[in-house]
Order: sequence, then structure tokens, then C-alpha cells
Amino acid sequence: MGKYLIRRLLQVIPVLFIISFVVFCLVFVAGDPVALMLPEDASQEDIEQLRESLGLNEPFHIQYFTYMVGLVQLDFGDSFRYNQSALPIVLERLPATLELAAAAMIIAIIIAIPFGIWSATKKNSPVDFLATGGSVLWKAMPNFWLGIMLILLFSVTLGWFPVSGRGTLSHLVLPAITLGTGIAAEMTRLIRSSMLEILNQDYIRTAKSKGIRNFFVVNKHAFRNALIPVVTITALQTSTLVGGTLVTETVFSWPGLGQLLIQAVNTRDMAIVQASVFVIAFIVILMNLLADILYKILDPRIKY
Amino acid sequence: MSVNSQTQNQNQSVTSTVEKKQAPNAFVRWMRLLFKSKTGTFGFIIVLAVILVAIFAKFLAPYDPNMINPAAMLKPPVWVEGGSAEHILGTDNLGRDMLSRIIYGSQISLLVGLSAVALAGVIGVFVGLVAGYYGGFVDNVLMRLVDSFLAIPTILFALVILSIFGPSVTTLIVVLGITNWVQYARLVRGEVLSIKEREFVKAAKSIGVRDNKIILKHLLPNVISPFIVISTLSVATTIILEASLSFLGLGIQPPTISWGGILSDGRDYIATSWWLATFPGLAITITVLAIIFLGDWLRDVLDPRSTN
Amino acid sequence: MKRKAFWGIFLFVISAILLVGCSGGTSTGETTDNGQKETDKTTDNGQVDKTLTIAVGSDMVSFDIHNHNNTSTEAVHVNMFNYLFKKDASGNIINELVEEYEIIDDLTVEMKLREGVTFHNGDPLTSEDVKFTLERVAKDDKLKEYPNYKQIKEVQVIDELTFRVVTHAPEPSLFHRLSRLGSGILPKNYIEANGFDHFLANPIGTGPYQFKEWVRDDHITLVPFENYYNGKVEEWDEVVFRVIPENSTRVSELLTGGVDIAVNIPPADWDRVNSNEGTAIVQEVSNRVIMLIMRATEGLPTADVRVRQALDYAIDDGTLADIVLKGGAVPTKTMVGPGNFGDNPDLYNTFNYDVEKAKALLAEAGYADGFEMTLQAPRGRYLQDAEVAEMIAGMLAAVNVKVNVEFLEWSNFVEMRNANENKEAYLLGLGNSMFDGAYSVDWYRAERMAGHTDYKNDRIEELLAASASNMNPEEREKQIQEISAIAAEEVPFIKLYQEKINIGVSDKIDFAPTSDEMINAASIKRK
Repeated sequence: MGKYLIRRLLQVIPVLFIISFVVFCLVFVAGDPVALMLPEDASQEDIEQLRESLGLNEPFHIQYFTYMVGLVQLDFGDSFRYNQSALPIVLERLPATLELAAAAMIIAIIIAIPFGIWSATKKNSPVDFLATGGSVLWKAMPNFWLGIMLILLFSVTLGWFPVSGRGTLSHLVLPAITLGTGIAAEMTRLIRSSMLEILNQDYIRTAKSKGIRNFFVVNKHAFRNALIPVVTITALQTSTLVGGTLVTETVFSWPGLGQLLIQAVNTRDMAIVQASVFVIAFIVILMNLLADILYKILDPRIKY
Repeated sequence: MSVNSQTQNQNQSVTSTVEKKQAPNAFVRWMRLLFKSKTGTFGFIIVLAVILVAIFAKFLAPYDPNMINPAAMLKPPVWVEGGSAEHILGTDNLGRDMLSRIIYGSQISLLVGLSAVALAGVIGVFVGLVAGYYGGFVDNVLMRLVDSFLAIPTILFALVILSIFGPSVTTLIVVLGITNWVQYARLVRGEVLSIKEREFVKAAKSIGVRDNKIILKHLLPNVISPFIVISTLSVATTIILEASLSFLGLGIQPPTISWGGILSDGRDYIATSWWLATFPGLAITITVLAIIFLGDWLRDVLDPRSTN
Repeated sequence: MKRKAFWGIFLFVISAILLVGCSGGTSTGETTDNGQKETDKTTDNGQVDKTLTIAVGSDMVSFDIHNHNNTSTEAVHVNMFNYLFKKDASGNIINELVEEYEIIDDLTVEMKLREGVTFHNGDPLTSEDVKFTLERVAKDDKLKEYPNYKQIKEVQVIDELTFRVVTHAPEPSLFHRLSRLGSGILPKNYIEANGFDHFLANPIGTGPYQFKEWVRDDHITLVPFENYYNGKVEEWDEVVFRVIPENSTRVSELLTGGVDIAVNIPPADWDRVNSNEGTAIVQEVSNRVIMLIMRATEGLPTADVRVRQALDYAIDDGTLADIVLKGGAVPTKTMVGPGNFGDNPDLYNTFNYDVEKAKALLAEAGYADGFEMTLQAPRGRYLQDAEVAEMIAGMLAAVNVKVNVEFLEWSNFVEMRNANENKEAYLLGLGNSMFDGAYSVDWYRAERMAGHTDYKNDRIEELLAASASNMNPEEREKQIQEISAIAAEEVPFIKLYQEKINIGVSDKIDFAPTSDEMINAASIKRK
């Protein structure tokens, strides 16, 4: 276990290195944000002046070197838009996004576990068909469409929840549903198939044939084993989840990383883009690592 | 519809041939399997319909989808009061025919979906084969590359690249291609790792069969089935992703018509002229639904391990 | 039981979503009942909740008043900072922090500050603060507002309240420059004692409202300043600017009473906001002119003045303003609208439209069979910009000009302009925060436009040179008007219309937008 952990941790280093290089290249290719920083009526001389003073006229390797020196000190440079160091701005926004992502994940799990198990135990029944059909339907709906519809229905027409913003628990409901249901759809399908696999295994069949009540069988044996893939699935969905916040946060004006990123991309605030991509990638890697470890703890049969 | 009845006829003929205990040909066998699954049938029919609509858009669309008509702005669909048979699904805020736009929109959705998957497939299969077959250092480097791509959400990567190079159909295809190859690479590598230890590959190697021949003859055929399944689902994801990018302002730009673009442009009208957003939304949802169903069915049929 | 409940909710949501989709048009009437609950601005003990909530489309950029060039950021700043001069409702420049001034010579103005003005921390406002502020922006070329203040050479402190502003050259627009974006006065001692970063996190000014908190991309909260020189503003105990980028969400917030004011309501929702009980749309013409920047480079059809005139005649600005923008615009033939120095009323609220004449002009220029051109345009930057561009393409098709519309995402659009990769025409909206026509007509200067539009007119060059440092206002006004008249005739840019500001307002408050797009909370009253 210890050896495995060390190996996995060591693997993270080259990955972070590759990501940092890819991100730098993107920023370099992106060219300079100067034109966007000045008013629409700025003259060519003004633009040139600002370029020079920001060090954007240096060649690739010099800029890359400067970037890497900053990176090892966790310095992504200053945001052009906020005139402040980029990383603290990104980290300041992280809690809001994590809150939304966690709520979405909880909703997804609440929906997916019962539905996944239920449809697997009643395979090919109308229930199964509706559950799989329903989960696919959610997956097939673009997030922003769902979000806008939820606002129109639950906020404007029914007045149950606030339209947008962050604050109370009720602010969290609609964005979490918007983000969580797509994930729930994916999870339901995966839990169903992993349950089916387990239900077909000999020990369950044996238990069944011994006349143990079906419900008991499902709970005691199958469920524990079905939980194992759920852990992995949950971790693997981190990337999708974070990606989904880009859209969801914009619809519900949720003050998280997603909105920050979109504005950074639109204004070519590349320091923010770099820092956020890096932070997001780091979280995803961390979650995957965690999943691997949990997986090993939950299922001692797996050897590395 | 005619397609449907035709296949059904074939289906009947299948049953008779089976009864005669003759080996049915591949197409017939597939059709039989298809019609055993309700969702598979649904998926197949819709996907086929969308493909046909995309191919014959020119003949099916009643109007030029970009023709502006200030005299007929925001006309509702025919069955709603104020609608007329001239525009069955109504018109948008510039008086353009919704039906024609939806019909033409299918072209881009499919083009982007299929091309991106093809590109990702080529890259992914190549990387997977190389990594799995050669192993060691090469494998290590390639797999770290895979991990890196997995760590950046696709939509984020796409957003950044599209903003830099400008959103065009080609850029979108390339972006999706270079983000989606990862899953193919992992799949193929895994498959290769398990196969290359088998006796027949070792035997082939020992008698001096060249590497590329082993790859082509023994490895590739084994990964085709899961490849098709992943690809199908990829097309579905791509259509949704294109819509999300349109929402964020970096989807396919007009005058090129995409479902995501129409849906995104129509969102300001959701509360006042619902048909502007509802029809492209339904087009996306139904098509994606159909593709997923088709993909599920293909998985059941092609992958012997998930016979459930 | 649980399972059934689950299914109930599931089916309900799906059917409800479909229902909203199909009945969206009628659902808005019902909103008021629920909306009322939230808008009911009285607390239990009968006191009126005096919070003003304003929904804006984008977050403010920074409290560095000199390092943004963003109208919506300034709209927040005006509540916290005072300018030396300000513009009144009719566009006249009047004193704000300055009590009186005297023009010493072409390069020097002596000004005296109002007595008894203090910053939010209690420090009195002095000449040193003015010197610190103006010289900061006039000398630091990294600041985004530097180009608009670099004309100032120095500020000489005479005594506690008296100072002289000295310019490098005669500067006829000096007062315009000092009464606009970035003209607030910063607290010198506070910044020097605590550092600029501390100021950015805890900004103070002399304005009617002071800073309480800023949660990025969420909200900014301001509270009244007790010792405001003009008396504490009693109307609102708290002013909250909420950031809601998505149009439909912003509209929904307004309809449900979540906010009192929502800026930039798309035309599609105007009827909805107006028919909703308790909300209405208010409009005001902005100082932003939407136009097509024509490329007059040799070899292009648009190099021929007759072709540019023909295109101008072929575009029906009236249809664009009245139908595509639903009346949210005023057609114009000039960049210098009312309220600006040097405006030319003859060229405002009028447009050229005559398809036959357009065809004749094209024939005369040798393009009887038309030609093909590209129109580049941004999307989502200006009101209905994409729709306008597509409509123009449709209009020009009527005179056999085939227009390929090329939409560019905003940052790509800016890059295109910056790299002079503009084709025959591109759609641009130009604001003028200075409200001085000289600032607008400078766009015709040949040197500035070399490689971009390549337009050159010798008479305009003469007039520009003469007006640049002309300290005689009457003469300068005539010169700017003449430039506008020539431009209306030669069409280096096809001016389309002046955009209106569209703001959704709750019936409970009284708010009249101004053409500078500022949101001055002190002037907003409860009804």
C-alpha cells in the first residue's frame, strides 16, 4: 500500500508538469491581452507602450522561464483585470464552487443509488425502463436549458426558491439540481450495471436460493459491493462536475470559479486562466488519487 | 417510415430462414437483435432519421434557413393561435423559418460529432496501441499525457482554445478531437495489455512476425467493439457540449446553423416566444437520447462481458 | 412510500418543465403574488427596509479608479468618489468638489476646493489629494486611463484648498476630462500610510456612499456616509449591486422582486416586464453610436465614395431602430449626438434610405450588378448586434450587394481590429465618456486610421489640426460640426443609430437613467 501510494504520488509530478506546459503554450499562443485592456478608442501608440511595459515582447523561452520560476513559487502572475496576484483570487472563489459541487454530488447520489439499485433489482420492468429512460433524458438536456426552465418554473411561476445568487440553503437548491441531475443520470446507469453484475454472481444466487428475502439479499451483499464502483464513479465525475459549474454558475450567477474563469477567458486574463486550470486539474488529480486509495481499502481483493 | 416497414419485412424473412436452421447473414442477424430491444429500435430509427434529414436537408427544408423576413417575425407554430401553415414550427426573431433552421442544424451537429469522434479515435487508437504494445518508458510518458488531459475538463479546454483561435467548425472539431482521444487511448491500451500476453501473440512474435502486422491482425480487431460503443456515446456528448459552448458564446457562429446555436439564441425568448428555444432543445434531447439508446444496445450486443 | 414520492417528484418536474416550455408566454402574469412576498419591503416592526438592490450584467473590475475603462465599474464608483466637476442632466459641466476656478492662461487653470469635504475616514480633502490623484494617472503609463489624462503636466499646490492644473499644451477638453470616468479624487494620506493594496481592499472616497463589502461576481454593498458634505443620504440604508450576467436570470430576478433595478433588459422581455405588475422598463438614449466602419483602402469597392453612399442609402436605419431594436435606438448620421460638445442637431434623428438612389449610385460607380463584401460583427456586445448585422446583410441584398456576415467572439474581434484585419466593413459601437465631440471625430484622422480604414479627407485634416488646441469654444464647436457634416456626406463610417439604455425598474422606486450610464444611488428615490 505504502509503495503504491508513493508511486501514484510520484506520477502526479510529471502530470502537473505537462499541464503547466500545455497551459503556458495556450497563453503564449493567445497573444497579448493589451488591446482588450485599453478602451475601444486607444491609439496604436498607447497599445505598444503597454505591451512593452508588461514584458510581452520577450521571446518564448524567456517568457516560459519566467513563468516556471513563478510557478514553483505558486505565483501565476498578476491578473490584468483585477491588478492582483491571480492565485489568491482563484482560491477565494473555490469555496463557492466546492459548495455547489458538493451539493450537486449529494443530490446525484441521493437520486442515483436508490434508482440504480431499484432498476437493477426489477430489471426490464416498467420501473427499470422509466429509471433508465429518465436518467438518459436528464443527460440529454443541455444544462443551461434545464437551469433556465427551473428558474422559470420554481422561482418565477411558483416562487419557491430564489432566482439566483448565493447565500441561504434555498439559494443552493436549483443550481445543485441543475448540476446534479446530469451526474445522477450517469451514476444511475453505472450503478445499475454494476448491481446487475453482482446480482448475477454465484453467492447472491446461492443466497437467493436459500430463500433469504430478496430485499435482505440486495441490501446486505449486493449493496456493499455495488458501493465500490460508486466511489470510483464519483471521483471520475469530478472533472465533469467542475466543467458543469461553468454553465451552471453563469445561469444562476453563482460567484464561484466557473464564472471567474469565463470572464477571464472572455477578457483574456490569462493569469487567472492559468491559475484556475491548474487548481482545477489539481483537484481532479487529487480526487482520482483518493478514489484509487478508497477503492483499495473497500475491496481488499484488488492488488497493485 | 418506409425504412421502418422495409426492415420489418426483412425481419420476418429472417425468422423464416432461422426456422430453416440456415445461418442467417450478418445484416439479418443484426436486425433481429435490434428489434429485440425496444430502446435500441427507437434509437436506431431516430438516428437514421436524423442522418437522412441532414443528408437531404436541401430538399426537405421549406425555406432558406437564413432568409430574413421582417414581415413574419416571431410567428408561432401552426397549431398555436396566430400560427400559419406557411411556417409549421413558427419563425424566429428575424422571421426565419424554424423548421428549416432545425433541419439544417442537424448537419452541423452530426458533422461535428462524427468528425470529432473520428479524429479522437485515430489519435487514441494510435497512442493506445503504441503505449500498450511497447510498454515501459513510452507507455509511462504516454499515460502521463493521458492523465494530464483527463485532469482538465473538456468544456474548459474547449473554451480556452476556442476563445484563442476563434470559434469555427474546424476549431471545434479539432478541439474535441484532441480532448476526447484520451478515453480511446486508455481503452485500446488496456485491451492490448491483456492480449499481448496470450500465447498466439507470443508465438507470432517468436516466429518473427513484424510488430505492425501483429498489431493489425491480432490487436485491432479486438478493440473494434468497445470502440464503436464509446464513439456512439461520444457523438451524444459532443452535441450537448456544442450547445453549452454556444451558451457561453463560443459555439458555432452564424450564419452557420447549429442546434446549440439556435437554442442558445432562443433563450432570451423562452418566456415570451417559447418555440424559439423549445424546438432546438427537443431536437437535441431526442437525438442525444436516441444515440445513447443505440449505444447501449450496441454495447449489449457487441460486448460479450456485459450480457446483462 | 419513499419510492412513490420520488416518482411523484420526478414526473412532476418533467411535466412541469414541458408545461413551462409551452405556456411560458402566459405564466408571467401570475408572478406578482409570489413576487410580492419578497418585495414586501416592511419588516415585522413596521419599519421600511431601505435596501436598494441593483442587478448589473458584469462585476466591477477594481477600486483602482484609474485602472479600468469600464462604464459599469464607474457606475459603482460614482457613489463613492466625487469628481472635481460633473455634468448636470442637460450635459453642462458644473462644479462638484471645486468651489470656483479661474483660467490663468491657455495652459493653466487655478481651482479652489469646496470647504469641509472629508473622506470616509474623516481626513479632510486638500489640494495635496488632488495633486496625488491627477499626477498618478497623468504620469503612470501602465494605468488604463493614462491616455485620457496624460495631457496634464502637473498640479501645483498653492495652499490647503487652492491648486493649479497645468497642461502640456492648450487643452480645450480639460473640463470634459476632469468630469468623467476616472476623475474621482483619492485620499493621499490614507494610501501612503497603508499602501495601495490596502486601499483596493478598503477603498474610501468623499462620495455619498461608503464601502461595506465586495464579494466578487456576487455583490458589492455600500452604506451611506454620515458626514457627506452635502448631508447624509437618508433614502437608502444600503445599496447592493448584484452581478447577474445571464439576461433571463436578471429579468427573472426583477419580475420576482429580488432586485429593484435591472440593467440591460433584452428587447424580447420589454413587454413582459411592462405587463408584469410592479415593474416597468425605463429608457434613455446613451452616448453610444452603432456604426459600420468602412474600409476605404484602394482597390476595394468601398474605396469609392459613391459605393459607401449607396450602402448608406440601402440600409434602412428606421427598420433597425424600430423593428429589430423595438424602438430601443435613435437613427443618426453623426457620431456626435446631443449632449456632446460640438453636436450637430441636423444630423441627429434622421437617416438616409432610398433603394433607388442606392442602385443609381452603385451603377454610377460601376457596380450595377453589385459586388460581394464581408461584414464583421461582434455578438452579444451591443443590443441585438447579431440581429442587426444579419438584417443589414438582408437589406444590402436588395441592391445586389452580397454580404458575408462574419461573427467574431469579442476578444477575437478586438484582435482583428488591432491587427488591422478588418474587411470592407465592421460593426462597432462607440461611446464617448468625455461628451466632447472632438474625441469622436478624431476617428477620421488619417494618421490614426492609416492601414485600418485608410480614409483621408484634407479638409477634415485641416479642421482637426485647427480644433485640437483651439481654446475658443465657439470656433471649436463650428469646426467639430463641420467635420461631422463632411463625414455625413462622405460616409467613412455608416452611422446607424444611437443605442438606448434599457433598464427594468420596480414601481416602488423612482429612477431616471442618464446617458452616461451611471447609477447614482443618491438620486434614486422611493415612491
